Amino acid sequence: MRTFEVFLKKAGKDEFRHVGAIDAADAELGVTLAREAYVRRGEGDDLWLVDRTHIVVGPPAFVRGNHDKPHRHNDGAAIAERRRQQRETA
Amino acid sequence: MTLLDPTPATLADRLAGPPVGRSWADMDEFETFLDDGGIVEAHDDMPEAYRTEVFRFIELHANSELMGGLTERDWIPRAPGLRLKQIFLAKTQDEIGHAHLLYMVAADMGMKDREQMLADLFAGRTRFHNVFHYQAVTWADQIAIAYLVDAAAFASQRAVFQNCSYGPYKRVLKRIIAEEGFHMRHGEEMLLRIAEGTRIQHEMFQAALERWWMPAVQLFGPDSSPDDPLLAWHIKSERNEVLRHAYVQKYVPLLQGYGFDIPDSGLRHDPVDGWLISEIDWSELRATMRNGGPDSRRRIATAAGSYADTAWVRDALAAAS
Repeated sequence: MRTFEVFLKKAGKDEFRHVGAIDAADAELGVTLAREAYVRRGEGDDLWLVDRTHIVVGPPAFVRGNHDKPHRHNDGAAIAERRRQQRETA
Repeated sequence: MTLLDPTPATLADRLAGPPVGRSWADMDEFETFLDDGGIVEAHDDMPEAYRTEVFRFIELHANSELMGGLTERDWIPRAPGLRLKQIFLAKTQDEIGHAHLLYMVAADMGMKDREQMLADLFAGRTRFHNVFHYQAVTWADQIAIAYLVDAAAFASQRAVFQNCSYGPYKRVLKRIIAEEGFHMRHGEEMLLRIAEGTRIQHEMFQAALERWWMPAVQLFGPDSSPDDPLLAWHIKSERNEVLRHAYVQKYVPLLQGYGFDIPDSGLRHDPVDGWLISEIDWSELRATMRNGGPDSRRRIATAAGSYADTAWVRDALAAAS
């Protein structure tokens, strides 16, 4: 028995989304069962199954390391302040 | 060469191995995380007490969907007319589908796999909702189940979904609740039809209402204990008695509006508190939940028999791969 993670996407809309998992003996049965378990009412047009043993997971601590990088953002506050001063002196 | 610590693992290894996600120093820190709206994922190092309680709750829900689906299935051949047969086929597939999704989520918590959960259910070692321990006598019972019981289950599931702290459960609940919404509309349409039918049909539903009103009200359970961990850990978002009271406020006038009598001689309307029902004797619910309900034995045997009868399908699929 293999366990597949199930992803769905609507035609022309958004990205693939993870919707859950399904157990099946092989890929063909996986697609059949995933359709019956997850796509009974037009929830998606494209269906991806990925075997759980093929998904590589990034260590969360490593991923989180990039969360606090203020120099990769710019909220525009300095420029707004400069423009405000210019307007006031004009 | 190792760049990362720990080395990236596959999802399968990660779920099977020790938790690698977030961890909390103690229960206080964990509860603060939950109070702040934190969502727990399967690979997190959650406290064992949380894992055990949430797993048991999801297992109960999964078992109930399976047992409910089998009840619907029993009535497919007896549903009057092709449209209702189609509706009952679709509902059966929905309920079995819900069970499947929930068993996957429960299995990923690493306490029991699906085979073990099913074995425990069929051996009477685990529980399922009280409403699936009673017998449906006529088609009107099936309408009472589709309308009253589904509505009670819907209300309690929606309250879980609202604030659910366990991510994988919350995500499948979203789909389950959407589908239960269709079931409820089917249920009310069926009720409307029988309510507007002949005198005999009206009496049939009244008789069914007398069998199902109490089990539906009891589904919410006795008043929540002030230290219910499921409330503290944001699995349940509302106390049992609050949900039960809201249900009574909605369904008493609705059923009366269709011309039916609520089978409760103590029912009264209070200008402040609204509809109040008689004191409930909870010993019936306790016995039922220990698989001692009127139809428990037959229901469990039917479910076990159905699983045994379909073993050849699973064997054939496994052999074909």
